[in-house]
Amino acid sequence: MPKETETRMIVIAPSSSVTPDQITRLIHTLNTEVTVKETCYGAMVEGGKEEVARVLDAVRKLDPNRIFTKVRGFPIGDARRCRAHHGSRPGFTQLEKEWECLSLIEKGVASAEKGEVTAEAPRRKRITIDELKRIVEETE
Amino acid sequence: MKVFIMPPNSLILYDLVERYGHTPLSLMGAISKRVMNPEIESPPINVTPNDVKKGLKYAGIEVPSGIRGRLAIWGPLVDEAEASIIMEDAPFEFGCVGCHRTDEMVRFLVKKRKIPLLEVRYPTSEDEAKVLVSKIKAFLEGLK
Repeated sequence: MPKETETRMIVIAPSSSVTPDQITRLIHTLNTEVTVKETCYGAMVEGGKEEVARVLDAVRKLDPNRIFTKVRGFPIGDARRCRAHHGSRPGFTQLEKEWECLSLIEKGVASAEKGEVTAEAPRRKRITIDELKRIVEETE
Repeated sequence: MKVFIMPPNSLILYDLVERYGHTPLSLMGAISKRVMNPEIESPPINVTPNDVKKGLKYAGIEVPSGIRGRLAIWGPLVDEAEASIIMEDAPFEFGCVGCHRTDEMVRFLVKKRKIPLLEVRYPTSEDEAKVLVSKIKAFLEGLK
């Protein structure tokens, strides 16, 4: 294995029609020396940094705005994390939450690409005590 | 430029920072160096007693070791950062971001460094997501 290795998570946005199977099959056809593992959210790739970057470029082309990646701290199948070895996955809640957000982010990326002008809407504030009292009195 | 992201394990921020041409400084990257280093103590330990001592640079001795352990990993990333993006409203139960005091401490360290900083929130709607991405894109392009 090359000296400087990297493990990457490839996450598909829920709004994408690309499947984890398609990604792993594509990576297998690239004929590179990387390890690939199909997962529920997409795939994991491990190998030399440059090879992994090449793989990611190819994978991103499938659906550029709906495929996201990040580095993974632990290698694929590491006993400390792999569920097959009863490892814990403390980062999974974060991944799950962000995965849900990806269909929103994808729209943001598309909008930024088009150069759409966006204005920030004022955030909802907590109601004041007086306002709450008024609502209570009205409903009584 | 090296951009420190917060939450430090955020997929959204990691991807966007890289997409717009910068290097994200993330928790996964720091952990990866520790896990892949053959000299690290035997699994499952990836934070060593020495790390907790290193954390003393960022937090006093009276601070719980969990915070110092986290700061031993996050602190050097903040020191290395040339810019930072903080995304607020991350539900506090998130795995390694689970320590709110560490979050506050890291925010303080970032602000103390006076590096370019962008503070945004997790989006809850399509419009908010569009604003979020356009802000991040403008911020990152402005760094070049």
